[in-house]
Amino acid sequence: MTTAVTTAMTTVIRVDRITKSFGGAAALTDVSVDFFPGEVHALMGMNGAGKSTLVQILSGALNPDSGTLEVGGLVQNQLNPRQARKVGISTVPQRRELVMSLTVAENIMLGQLPTSGAMVRWHSVRETAQEALRALGITIDADAIAGDLTVAEQTMVEVAREVRRGGKVLILDEPTACLGPEAAQQIRDLVLRLRDSGVAILFISHHISEVLHLADRITVLRDGRVTWAGLATETDEKGLVRDMVGRDVVSRRPVRPARSNEVGLSVRGLCDGRFLDCFDIDVRRGEIVAVLGPAGDAQSRLFDLLSGRRRFDGGQVSVAGKKLKNGKITDSLASGLRCVTGDRRRLGLIPGLTIDENVMLAQDRLDKRRIHRWSLLTRRAKPLRERYRVVSLAENPPVEQLSGGNQQKVLLAKWLGTAPSAVLLEDPTNGVDVSAMAEIHSLVDRLAGEGVAVLLASSSAEEVMRLADRVVVVRDGRRIAEYQVDRITRDELIATTLGGAL
Amino acid sequence: MSAVATLTRPVRVGKIPHAGLLLVLVGIIVFASVRTDSFLNTNNLLNVARQVSVVAVIAAGLTLLMVAGGMDFSMGGNVAVTTAVAAQMLSHGYATWLTLVTAIGLSIAVGLVNGAVVTFTNVAPFVATLATATLLDGVALLVINGMSISIDEHLSGLGSGTTFGLPNLVFVAAAVLAVVAFVMRYTSFGRDAFAIGGNEDVARLSGITVSRDKLVLYGLAGALSGLAGIMLLSRLAASSPGTGGLQLQLTAVAAVVIGGTSLAGGKGTIGGTILGVLLLGVVANVLNLLQISSYYQQISVGAVLLIAAIANLLQSSRKR
Ligand SMILES: Nc1ncnc2c1ncn2[C@@H]1O[C@H](COP(=O)(O)OP(=O)(O)OP(=O)(O)O)[C@@H](O)[C@H]1O
Ligand SMILES: [Mg+2]
Repeated sequence: MTTAVTTAMTTVIRVDRITKSFGGAAALTDVSVDFFPGEVHALMGMNGAGKSTLVQILSGALNPDSGTLEVGGLVQNQLNPRQARKVGISTVPQRRELVMSLTVAENIMLGQLPTSGAMVRWHSVRETAQEALRALGITIDADAIAGDLTVAEQTMVEVAREVRRGGKVLILDEPTACLGPEAAQQIRDLVLRLRDSGVAILFISHHISEVLHLADRITVLRDGRVTWAGLATETDEKGLVRDMVGRDVVSRRPVRPARSNEVGLSVRGLCDGRFLDCFDIDVRRGEIVAVLGPAGDAQSRLFDLLSGRRRFDGGQVSVAGKKLKNGKITDSLASGLRCVTGDRRRLGLIPGLTIDENVMLAQDRLDKRRIHRWSLLTRRAKPLRERYRVVSLAENPPVEQLSGGNQQKVLLAKWLGTAPSAVLLEDPTNGVDVSAMAEIHSLVDRLAGEGVAVLLASSSAEEVMRLADRVVVVRDGRRIAEYQVDRITRDELIATTLGGAL
Repeated sequence: MSAVATLTRPVRVGKIPHAGLLLVLVGIIVFASVRTDSFLNTNNLLNVARQVSVVAVIAAGLTLLMVAGGMDFSMGGNVAVTTAVAAQMLSHGYATWLTLVTAIGLSIAVGLVNGAVVTFTNVAPFVATLATATLLDGVALLVINGMSISIDEHLSGLGSGTTFGLPNLVFVAAAVLAVVAFVMRYTSFGRDAFAIGGNEDVARLSGITVSRDKLVLYGLAGALSGLAGIMLLSRLAASSPGTGGLQLQLTAVAAVVIGGTSLAGGKGTIGGTILGVLLLGVVANVLNLLQISSYYQQISVGAVLLIAAIANLLQSSRKR
């Protein structure tokens, strides 16, 4: 690891005793942080600690209630997004903000379209955008429509846009949350390159090893207060966890009861365009099987096909021996199969409805409830909210007001609370903090222990090693290899994901 | 009740739902009472009440539909056809009950056709229902052959009768508003509408029968248009060219939007819609009473619309 040269530095951004409340409850209390040029500054903390709130203040999306913000030595009292950009602060927020109906090129050049006279020079738009992507080593077609990209690709496009715009400060709010190992590495390389060219980088991540590897300086938040700040070399994994959570967190593979021989979920000869080509997989009851492959491949299609959102071209899916009707969501639900999406904003939650309503959304429809009783709803949602530790400032706000990780917990509570017989989990711990991740992993363990067939599509090798019994590798829509997880190391696993066979 | 609260409690405007709208409404009422004696005149108030009742029934159906991300521009046209058909039937001596059943049945059918087009093809609701609206306006003219058809005293009990001093039409409207408000808040069907308007994909994946719900919602909008048509016919005692139609439709849409229902779906309340309907009804009446030229009337209605809409937005999207 290289340490940045940090002699005789002047701060680019100085955050001084900032406080911010939402409806009377404080999200940030007396937070002071300094950001220096040529340094990667990581912000850590549990879900709802206030990291994204601080990011929103720095990017001008929110104004603090009290405290001061100094950028380049000047006090900025009422920063708005445009001014923030002007003083050199570029931000990739946690919630991706691409215009989904426009092309990648248009998104990258948004607000800065090259023109001659009043006419847009489309050729130059495409060239410049493609160049910006290439500079980061990203192979995404600049003419693709942003809405058609996977969440990982959207992240890369947004990073490319902010990097192209330049600036003295680059803020990245959980850029690697749902990326596979390869893409995450690209982001990390980029961060180091920008740091060496003198940019100040604010980096947020729940992956402790990633932070320790990347960051020069770390600030830890807990319940909106700074609990630890210092150089990355002055702390370690254990210390960070203590500062974030307040106790130690251990997560170990449990010894699960022997799996039954009954097949819980069976996929036979599944075909779907170029994504799946006669794909087979059997998941026994009580077994956790991970599907791995190069990013953007089969995994993302499995959700659409198994949930019934999309008709497959051929093949069949059975749950507990019962064949599913092709392309029928209600049939998929009735069979006891639950598909948990990796894209909670687009396919997971209803932003304007409250936590309770979102948690009970599927269960109430399965129960065919006709009358909606609010007090009963609260009572039924409560155990699930507690089991998944959903944290919010208000009692029961719309889910759009929750922090990213807490939205993820609502999504899991919504689906795993419905007594499933088989589940498909796509990146189940996307954006979730260390302690919540450990708890979610044990909840999935328990689910399997109860005889549920679990199919896991995760971008995190650690997660696969921690949860899966068996790993199936997919390439070009075909199953090319299969391993028992205790016969393979983490590095071998990553190698297979990247496309090399063992 | 909340009007009183606005005046007596230490005012925290941001906390009271629709406070901005309420303030504008109260302001206009105070202004009207001071400027003209005839505003608070009983007959005038009864007249306003009858007028807003018809709009309120349409707006109620529209609120529920728009919450689910839908839109129906043909409700006014549906009203025109219903009044025309009912007027012809009554003037030709058909029984009242048969007329009512036919008229409502017809309006439901129109609603279901809208629903089927919107649900099963990918035509935008705005386009599909604007097309039916134009079509229905033409059909209405055909049915009454461009003339005014009187129904004499056939529906006068509903149209001009009162109970406890209040017009019967007001009771009908109040019942509709209460039922729709209940459906929106306390039934799964109503909550489904919010879910569909919030994110249709998620609603479908959560096991909500989105297509069926949408069909029912458009059918319901049709049924309420039919009811509004009967109410309008009973009030006017005749169907003439221009009864119902686009003017009525636009008033209803404006009332719903002023009341804070999102055009994008997922958000809306009956309380807001009631305020929107009242506001537009009162403004139109006051301008009439002040004998302001119809040119200025239009201009003023537009201005009020803008002010109310901005007042509403300022409240909901103030920078935190
Ligand atoms: N617009 C808002 N209205 C009300 N409460 C909010 C709003 N935005 C954030 N909050 C609350 O503020 C707290 C801090 O949220 P924030 O998004 O900063 O957390 P975070 O540290 O980024 O968490 P995560 O790791 O889950 O992304 C949370 O409890 C959240 O519910
Ligand atoms: Mg966050």
